[in-house]
Amino acid sequence: MTQPHRLPEGGIIDRTRALRFEFDGVQHEGYAGDTLASALLANGVHLVGRSFKYHRPRGIFSAGAEEPNALVQLSPASGARTEPNVKATMQALYDGLIAASQNCWPSVHFDVGAINNVMSCLMPAGFYYKTFMWPPTPKWWLKYEHVIRHAAGMGRAALAPDPDHYEHQYAHCDVLVVGGGLTGLAAAHTAAKAGARVILCDESAAWGGGVGDIGATIDDRPVDRWIADTVRDCARFDDITLLPRTTAFGYYDGNLVGAIERVTDHLSEPPAHTPRQRLWKIRAKSVVLASGAIERGIAYANNDLPGTMLAGAARTYARRYGVRPGTRAVVFTNNDSAYLTALDLHDAGVAIAAVIDARPASQLTRGLHQHARASGLAILPDSAIIGARGGRRVASVDVATLAGGRSTRVDCDLVCVSGGWNPAVHLFSQARGKLRYDEPLATFVPDISPLPILPAGAANGCFDPTAAVMEGRAAGAAAIPGAGMMASPHHSPRTNGVDGTALQPLWAVPATRRTAKRFVDLQNDVTVDDIALAAREGYVSVEHLKRYTTLGMGTDQGKTSNIIGLALMAEQLDLPIPKVGTTTFRPPYTPVTLGAFPGHETAAHVEPTRYSAMHDWHQEHGARFVNAGLWKRPHSYPRPGETEDDAANREARNVRTHVGLVDVSTLGKIELQGRDVAELLNRVYINKWDTLALGRCRYGVMLRDDGLVMDDGTTSRLSATHYLMTTTTVNAVRVMQQLEYLLQAEWRNLDVYATSVTEQWAAAALSGPKAREVLAKVMDIDVSNGAFPFLAVATCHVRTAQGLVPARAFRMSYSGELAYEIHVPADHGRAMWEAIIKAGDDAGIMPYGTEAMSTLRIEKGHVVIGPEADGRTTADDLGMGKLVNPAKWCIGKPLLARPALTAPDRWQLVGLTALDGARMPRAAKIVANPDHALPNPMLGHVTSWCYSPNLDAWIALALLANGRARHGEVLWALSPLANVRVRVKVGPPCFIDPEGARLRV
Amino acid sequence: MSDQDRIASGIPVDPHAGPAPLVLAPIAIATAWNVQGDPTRAPFSDEVENLFGVRVPTVANTTVRGGTLLALWLGPRSWLLVHAAGAEASSSLMDFEAKRDALNAHGGALFDVSASRVAFTIRGAHAATVLAKNCPLDFHLRAFPVGGCAQSLFGHVNALFYRPEASSFTMMVARSFTRDAWDTLRASAAQYGGDVAPPP
Repeated sequence: MTQPHRLPEGGIIDRTRALRFEFDGVQHEGYAGDTLASALLANGVHLVGRSFKYHRPRGIFSAGAEEPNALVQLSPASGARTEPNVKATMQALYDGLIAASQNCWPSVHFDVGAINNVMSCLMPAGFYYKTFMWPPTPKWWLKYEHVIRHAAGMGRAALAPDPDHYEHQYAHCDVLVVGGGLTGLAAAHTAAKAGARVILCDESAAWGGGVGDIGATIDDRPVDRWIADTVRDCARFDDITLLPRTTAFGYYDGNLVGAIERVTDHLSEPPAHTPRQRLWKIRAKSVVLASGAIERGIAYANNDLPGTMLAGAARTYARRYGVRPGTRAVVFTNNDSAYLTALDLHDAGVAIAAVIDARPASQLTRGLHQHARASGLAILPDSAIIGARGGRRVASVDVATLAGGRSTRVDCDLVCVSGGWNPAVHLFSQARGKLRYDEPLATFVPDISPLPILPAGAANGCFDPTAAVMEGRAAGAAAIPGAGMMASPHHSPRTNGVDGTALQPLWAVPATRRTAKRFVDLQNDVTVDDIALAAREGYVSVEHLKRYTTLGMGTDQGKTSNIIGLALMAEQLDLPIPKVGTTTFRPPYTPVTLGAFPGHETAAHVEPTRYSAMHDWHQEHGARFVNAGLWKRPHSYPRPGETEDDAANREARNVRTHVGLVDVSTLGKIELQGRDVAELLNRVYINKWDTLALGRCRYGVMLRDDGLVMDDGTTSRLSATHYLMTTTTVNAVRVMQQLEYLLQAEWRNLDVYATSVTEQWAAAALSGPKAREVLAKVMDIDVSNGAFPFLAVATCHVRTAQGLVPARAFRMSYSGELAYEIHVPADHGRAMWEAIIKAGDDAGIMPYGTEAMSTLRIEKGHVVIGPEADGRTTADDLGMGKLVNPAKWCIGKPLLARPALTAPDRWQLVGLTALDGARMPRAAKIVANPDHALPNPMLGHVTSWCYSPNLDAWIALALLANGRARHGEVLWALSPLANVRVRVKVGPPCFIDPEGARLRV
Repeated sequence: MSDQDRIASGIPVDPHAGPAPLVLAPIAIATAWNVQGDPTRAPFSDEVENLFGVRVPTVANTTVRGGTLLALWLGPRSWLLVHAAGAEASSSLMDFEAKRDALNAHGGALFDVSASRVAFTIRGAHAATVLAKNCPLDFHLRAFPVGGCAQSLFGHVNALFYRPEASSFTMMVARSFTRDAWDTLRASAAQYGGDVAPPP
């Protein structure tokens, strides 16, 4: 645990806080401020995984979110918290961290899967598509897939439920600055100082950004000092939110930016109640994109050996983390930036075996090159690495001039590569920004966007630290509301490299041996030859190239490889690079944990749940609940030893013999006031309403515009100008919306106002021959048949344990028995319910649930919206044609005369009784002859069915062609799925008290 | 907590976080009446003032206070008059039926919705942050000033927000959704500690 490769000083790490961690079973030590990758390198560990397809040894390649290789399984032994594909370059080290390599068995050092590398000639690009097309049935593909999934794969997902929680955070700002490097800090500081509301986010834990600024001097201060000062100044502004460890991953409509904050991923022990990650939904008036740039490599033979690293990454490890990433390094570059790496590594005591530069000596004459020479570094101009050698770590490289000729072997344990820098334009492109190919930089840079997004700094192709700060300040000022949002306020000259020497594009070094692999995409094992093969096979579109070769797929989405791949494609097709274009940049920029998207809305909170005011009583009295829309409603109240069916049958029987009480609070309730309420009712219901007297209620049916039944319910008249409408539970919102629309848009001259009072009133229905004697005990009004007849309404009080409670009483019946509804303000719902239950004790009262309620209404043939009124039925189909008032207009009426709605063979509501003691099959179709050859002509179908305890028979409601003319016929109910056939007798859709005598006693 | 500590702790920097601890608690609503009518018609608006002693606000998302009565703007022709329990009884919110008839006679309407909503207070440090975890509204003082109100979602649930003080909010949700809203509120607030009252 000595960290043999840690430099004696330097870096942003805290050397006073040593942290222990374990990788592949070996104990190591790092420091606070390390990433897992920097800590591994400090301990000399380069080999961290095996590649996806060929299982080749792979090492740490980058120092950031672009990492293609160093994906590890975090907490591999933790069933619930283990996480695959964690980038070691982004994972902050914490004490006790445990990680393991992926994609290898039995170990990363000896991996059986590496046989794929030997057999690689059998596995060209498009291997799956070519090989697994036969035999051409999906059955075989499923078998192949099983094996392939086992062989490939990217780590293991946790199988146990996630113990962590995630949350969302909405935020609004004037200026969102994406990226906390020099540019971003300058932009945020400028905007905040001008009074703007600013959010600044950066994906890493530390501010200061990428490698470009190391050693620079800003505003006459050393850059580290400038960064610390600026962060401190920023934090003092009232209206700035600083979000480290937060990746802005997607740019959506309306300048909505999604960002994921890793709140506790860097902690050994997350604080209680703190979410693991927080998904930010940021509405920004404008966005400054200071997301920096990502370095790319150069393809040469075996350019994937561990110990091969992007040049900027090597510099980052040396300067930011105080780690020596090798002992003897070769630097291979086509641009100036890698000279800074060579010099810094040299300073850190790494022997620089050679700086191999693809550019001719005539161009390498500037100060930086001179400086390198003066430091004793050997520069090999006009040269390239033609191949690397080594096993689990690079051991040497073969170097030759680009013109050809003999190669020289150079021993090394570290290769630092730079093929140039690509601005991180992902969010700009997602914001419908157009990209422009920049020849001097040999990459795509932001051009114009129709949206207020301002790229600045390296993300804008500006790599000079001082110029980037100026761009940041200009962008911050331009992004302030009222600044007019100029087009992107650059430009300092775009040069790649400190001394302004042009980059010389070099994508791939020509192969010397046919079998050697030159990797373009390290994560997906895509080589230069794969791209050439795709071109030979006729792939022209870069999007097809991606799907065919898998270039740019996976967790890194080709951040280091895409440009190389499409440049090589352009070469193959002999097209200019801009003609080939890029693949689409889609969100997310980096993978986002799925748990972050639902946030709190998981398990019981996937959707909200509504509870009536009497819910606790139901629960305390053994109710089983059923979901009715969002509501929990009592299904039945089973007693010890009873099934739910037993309970529902007992409850339904008791309503017909004694009295029952059911919670109907969920019914939609809408109050209407104004001089023209009756006129409104005339227009929305099929029947006539101007004759409804004060203190009376009436049943009504509403149609849709097309004449089909929409909803039914009752409306009561509470005062000369005040009415109460009830709707079905399911249509409560729909009817309210319809009324609001009509009153606000169509019929503005009607003097009617509406409001929903569903939540205001708790409601119970008291049904049964003994209902009146129970009600009389609790009401403060005369409820005798003379004083309170069928369809009467009263404003009154209920006597409860809480005293007299204001109430509304309605004499209406759904069960077909003598029945009342009692409404009280929801605060008093439970008191009202308990008072009635207590008053009904002598009468044998029982609470009943939705199941008994359904049985009772089927026995009476009352239709329900959904099963019977299924969006295809007219009022006449349901036996309510006589309700349609011929003397007035109403919604839907003009279309009732359509021939299809008046055809003689329409399906009409009937009642069915199962014969031969059989059970009514569920969802049965009705046929005349069950043995008819298929397809058997369907005469109708069962809509609702139940066992009727009051008739001791299985009964059903059904829609049957010309059903009213078929009463008395015997037909068959078939359920082919259940292989059940039952003889049924057709009759009227009412099985009990067809005259309605019980209602009026 | 210093700025740097706040930044390092992962707790969002909330510029309006007062020094007081976070408090979540239910508030009892004694009376809540929904007034509707056309405020540009003098008979209606005069009658409202006559009955309740306030002129209802006509600017969207604003409130008017008259004694212990608070009138919240719900729409161009709709307001909520609220009287919190515990405060001195307001004579203006008695005799519902007479006032309803009076408003009906003047081209308006009055609905008693006292039991329709349940209210919570969310106040102290991070009050706005806790709300913003579940609501897309902008709770910045410039966008949502003291005395303002607005309707939006809280999690899945429709909610009415009112801001009595800079670091204090009242949230009203339909009563059948109370448990859902309360669970969401507690889950969002737990990380800030503070004083969380038992569920209503």
